[in-house]
Amino acid sequence: MNKTVNINLAGIFFHIDEDAYLKLQRYLEAIKRSFTDSQGRSEIISDIEARIAELFSERVQNNKEVIRVKEVDEVISIMGQPEDYLVDDEIFEDEPQTTYNRKTSPSKKLFRDTDNSYISGVSSGLAHYFGFDAIWVRLAWIILFSAAGTGILLYILLWILVPEAKTTAEKIMMTGEPVNISNIEKKIKDGFENVTDVAKNVTDSVGAAAKNVSDSVSNAAKSVDFTKQGNKIKSSSKTFFDTLGEVIMFFFKVFAKFIGILLILTGAITIIFLIIALFSIGVVNFIHIPGLDLVDVVNAGNTPVWLVSLFTLFTVGIPFFFLFYLGLKILVNNLKSIGNVAKFTLLGLWLISIIGLVVIGIRQASEHTIDESVIVKQELNITANDTLKVKMVDSDLYMINRHYRNSSFKVLNNENGEKTIYRSDIRIIVKPTTDSLAKISIDKSADGSHYEKAIERAKNINYNYTFNGNELFLDSYLTTPVENKFSDQEVVVFLYLPVGSVVYFESTTRSFLNHWNHNGNIVTPGDTNHYLQITDGGITCLNCPVEESSKINIDIHDDESSVKIDSNGLEIKDEDVNIKVNAKGISGEDEAVEVKINSDGINIKSKDNDNSSVKTNNSDI
Amino acid sequence: MKIENTKAQMRKGVLEFCILSVLKDDDAYVAEILGTLKDAKLLVVEGTIYPLLTRLKNAGLLNYRWEESTSGPPRKYYGLTETGKLFLKELNTTWSELQNAVNIVTSQKTTKK
Repeated sequence: MNKTVNINLAGIFFHIDEDAYLKLQRYLEAIKRSFTDSQGRSEIISDIEARIAELFSERVQNNKEVIRVKEVDEVISIMGQPEDYLVDDEIFEDEPQTTYNRKTSPSKKLFRDTDNSYISGVSSGLAHYFGFDAIWVRLAWIILFSAAGTGILLYILLWILVPEAKTTAEKIMMTGEPVNISNIEKKIKDGFENVTDVAKNVTDSVGAAAKNVSDSVSNAAKSVDFTKQGNKIKSSSKTFFDTLGEVIMFFFKVFAKFIGILLILTGAITIIFLIIALFSIGVVNFIHIPGLDLVDVVNAGNTPVWLVSLFTLFTVGIPFFFLFYLGLKILVNNLKSIGNVAKFTLLGLWLISIIGLVVIGIRQASEHTIDESVIVKQELNITANDTLKVKMVDSDLYMINRHYRNSSFKVLNNENGEKTIYRSDIRIIVKPTTDSLAKISIDKSADGSHYEKAIERAKNINYNYTFNGNELFLDSYLTTPVENKFSDQEVVVFLYLPVGSVVYFESTTRSFLNHWNHNGNIVTPGDTNHYLQITDGGITCLNCPVEESSKINIDIHDDESSVKIDSNGLEIKDEDVNIKVNAKGISGEDEAVEVKINSDGINIKSKDNDNSSVKTNNSDI
Repeated sequence: MKIENTKAQMRKGVLEFCILSVLKDDDAYVAEILGTLKDAKLLVVEGTIYPLLTRLKNAGLLNYRWEESTSGPPRKYYGLTETGKLFLKELNTTWSELQNAVNIVTSQKTTKK
């Protein structure tokens, strides 16, 4: 008893035995694979089907007769095996065909082998692809998992992106064997044997087993994807240039794979680090980790930190994801596409993130558009004859960079346990005044997106100083409650000193004094530790050492002769000549004569003869 | 080098010429062309002819028309186009030249022996 199938061949209706049907179907598929579309495959196939229909009609007398394997075999022997359909292109082609697209070796494709899987078949798929045993791939995974968690991410990505080998053809492709009738039949037979074993043992279930067999055969045959391997069984005579081309292609492929690996690594590492970095910052917003509050304080625009993190992640991460994807694509021929929807969604997200970041940037910048200041003035009891000493004072809490001006800031808890911003952006500007009393003016300034906000922030700056006797103690830091955010708060201390008064800046003030004489500032960092008298347009140093830089010292000498010019005067010496000009007067001397001009007068003396000398005294002139 | 392949290539080389020659006088459908070629032992299996016919048709040497059949599916009747006729003429000349040449070469060899 056999099942029959109804088929329509070139418009003619036939009853056909199931076995015969499968045989015929395989035969037609095999022929189909012998042609390419450019050769007019569909037309050739329909001609062949028409011919087969004709041959069948000759063999069946009436409509009720069934076509059996015998008839199919006859027809196949008339029509010829698939190989007989091949047209040798090199004989018939008008133009010599380029042979590049004719693959001579079957190409392996990466699939997940779910038949031999532990988790998802990624490992056994990779094993098929690279040709080692799956156990090594699994070991490698275990090492990757335990060494760095990144392996897990890679595994999941491969799981998502690598397709599962579903059809027989895909399973054959996975192992790299060419997909042809004999291989498919072999694969199906493997399946048969399991079933027939069962059938042998359980005699009762023979019928059921046969049904299973036929079902599995038909399913397998139906699902096989023949078309892709269309050209595989073409025989080709290799020429030298084919081989050369293949060698070049091989190296090119190796190079491409290398680039692919690089791209994957770059993409994956960047994304992982980005996620770790931004996640830890994003979390800070909800869980307060000490020391990380800074992020919140800088954030004058009050933008949620997680939003910035997310935007940054997308802006940077998406291009790297595409890099990663590109790498995978180079490495894996038949990578599942992530789909246009996903691609455009990512592109959209990327654009939105960029726009978001720009908007946040502008908001942040606008917080600093207006710079306003609040001025507090006080007179100091210092008159023209007094001496003022200026010192900087530290906070016990804020000790970093003590006595150094610094434009960075810190967030600390103040004495009352409130979060406070500390900053040491203090500048001192000293100016002369004709008023009788000295005056101090504290100028607090801060940024904000508008006038009121800037003023408000400037007012909230706390800055203290104390004046005691003739000593002025200035804080070396400013504080402001953390709610005001960091918005470039700074303090400028203006000191107006009466002309004639004396001021002494301790060395602690050095880095707070203005370097340049702008704003009419008269005291620079170099003037600390000296008593400075204020004059109309500047200062006079009272205890500075006399400048010696203008003096010239010349000392040229060798063994016998020398020339010296220094604070003592001028001295020229030679073996037998000696000329001196100094505080004592002028004297010149050689072997025979000595000349002296000094307070005593002029004295010329001959050494040879003591008697011959000329002397002039003051009185003698 | 297999003798079978060489034989097959020799046959295939003249197959196009032969198909055109079969259609020289009258249009014919595939089974008729096949009959002639099979009788002449040029073809062993039928399959070979289909890609050739399609190729010749695509090259504009052949055209076809459909005719209903009483015993099976409709039949494609092939016929030569004007270009096909010219092409055949050319091939005829080449063939006689070739025949001549092959005759000379092969007979020379026998005389030498």
